[in-house]
Amino acid sequence: MLTFIVRRLLIMVPMAIGISFVIYLALDLSPGDAVTRMLNPERTPDPARLEEMRRALGLDAPMPVRYWIWLTGVVRGDFGNTLTGGVPISRLLLDRLPATLELSVVALFLSSIVGVILGTISALRRGTATDSILTVGGMIGVSIPEFFFGLVAIVVFALHLQWLPVGGRLLPTYDSYWDHLPNIIMPALVLSIMMTAGVMRYARTAMLDALSREFIKTARAKGLPEWRVNLLHGFRSALTPVIVLIGFRLPILIGGSVIVEEVFQWPGLGSLFVQSVRNKDLPVVMTIALLTVILVLVVSLIIDILTALIDPRVRLGT
Amino acid sequence: MALSDIVRHRSHLDRRFDRIRALEEAGQLTTPTGSRALRKFMNNRLAVFGLIVFSVIFLASVLAPLLTPWDPTRINLRAISQPPSWDHWLGTDKTGRDVFSRLLYGGRVSILVGLGSALASALIGVVIGCYMGYVGGWLDAIVMRISEAIMAFPEIILVLMLVSIVGQSLVNIMLIFILGGWCGIYRLVRAQMMSLREEEYVQALRTFGLGRGLITFKHILPNTLGPVMVNITLSTAAFILQEAGLSFLGLGVPLSIPTWGNILNVAQDLSVLQNNWWLWLPVGVVISLFVLSVNFIGDGLRDATDPTQQG
Repeated sequence: MLTFIVRRLLIMVPMAIGISFVIYLALDLSPGDAVTRMLNPERTPDPARLEEMRRALGLDAPMPVRYWIWLTGVVRGDFGNTLTGGVPISRLLLDRLPATLELSVVALFLSSIVGVILGTISALRRGTATDSILTVGGMIGVSIPEFFFGLVAIVVFALHLQWLPVGGRLLPTYDSYWDHLPNIIMPALVLSIMMTAGVMRYARTAMLDALSREFIKTARAKGLPEWRVNLLHGFRSALTPVIVLIGFRLPILIGGSVIVEEVFQWPGLGSLFVQSVRNKDLPVVMTIALLTVILVLVVSLIIDILTALIDPRVRLGT
Repeated sequence: MALSDIVRHRSHLDRRFDRIRALEEAGQLTTPTGSRALRKFMNNRLAVFGLIVFSVIFLASVLAPLLTPWDPTRINLRAISQPPSWDHWLGTDKTGRDVFSRLLYGGRVSILVGLGSALASALIGVVIGCYMGYVGGWLDAIVMRISEAIMAFPEIILVLMLVSIVGQSLVNIMLIFILGGWCGIYRLVRAQMMSLREEEYVQALRTFGLGRGLITFKHILPNTLGPVMVNITLSTAAFILQEAGLSFLGLGVPLSIPTWGNILNVAQDLSVLQNNWWLWLPVGVVISLFVLSVNFIGDGLRDATDPTQQG
């Protein structure tokens, strides 16, 4: 087990460093540097003074040294400052993180539970009208653009019926945390739609696979009632692959939240990302991209380890 | 108890089989001709539905100049934000441009971006995948690591990151899509190559002294085309969704070029959402229908070409 983890880390860490280097390169090659941004653009700066400031900031060092300084900063959680406003990026990220976590966790729970239930029903009713309707429904779910789904939801529930607010998260008029419950309903539902469809598909396949096994026949032969066979024997063994696969939905969750946050003006990392791309604030864009990749790599490592622990059939050698 | 006494419940399948038997006895049953995969595809109702919807939208976009007299980019300040009428089938937008014409011409660009990027990334993926899968070695290991690194990015993060570096243009968007899209097909083809190159028929070809290129591209590649075609359809759907999302955010194809996403860009405005439904609803429905049809086609292709997905 230990060799397995070490081997995976030996692949993962160089890859993360490689990605960080490419990202730093893009930052470094973009026009302008920290000094030119600090100066007043109205006046032509004195070249000697510019050089002095660059030296003071360590910008005259060769590229590998500057990369090392940046990398050690990143490891300590210091990502530098934003171009627009000069705020430390780490503080900005921490401000936005809770909103994104809240939305992602709710959407993840919702889509996993609904997806697993629908997928199981679909597998148990294989070949019937229910199965076809659910399958086609899943296809429709992945085909509608998330933002369009969001727009329709806003028009119906916010503008016409006026049941839910158009967007936003914590408004100053709110007294308590629970007051913003209505705000999260629409973004969480819209974010869940695409993932639910995916989870449903996986769950259906896993359940069908489990139901075709010998131990199901044994359970039936013992004379157990059908619901016991399906739920206690089939469903339980189908659940493991599904839970593992839900972990792999993370990139879809992150990608989806970028657009959904923007549609519903949800003040999370996704809308920060879009806003920074609009303002051409490269340091923020690159930092978020780098952290996302590292998160995805770490989660996939954890899933691999968990799979190896749960499933004895997984060979650790490769 | 005699065997004939057992009464079996007759399902709809029995009735269908009876009909086929009756046809056979009447001598009306012909032996099917043509490709087996094609027959399976045409028997899949959803796939045929997808093919029809796809063709209608595709042809309407290609034949746009014949179907609408309006120029999609001509501003007409005397016809601003008009609801649908006999002249303007889907109304006009805030600068008086005809929405129906923008929908058709926008379809050209959106389909070009989706299908073009998918085909180009498939081409790159197939060529690299064939070579690396058959030859292997350190180059293969490096390309594999690169593809893993690219695939570690959630698609939209990668695309937006690259957009912020290279800037927005139609060509840039397509290049970015291709950069992110070749990995999937590359890995698929590579895996197929690696298993097929050990097959006996390949060994036989090698004994005959056939060259590497001939073996990989002429004798192994055709066996991987089914999954590749499925992958092309699915990435077409994904690219069209991404282009729409990016352009909706105003970060995709420049706003001066009509695309489905760019038409929807105005829907960020709440008053447009509430008052001018014709500016966003028809386009959104068309995008959804088109992506759905492509997905149905992809599913049909998978069922028709993949022997492990029977029934």
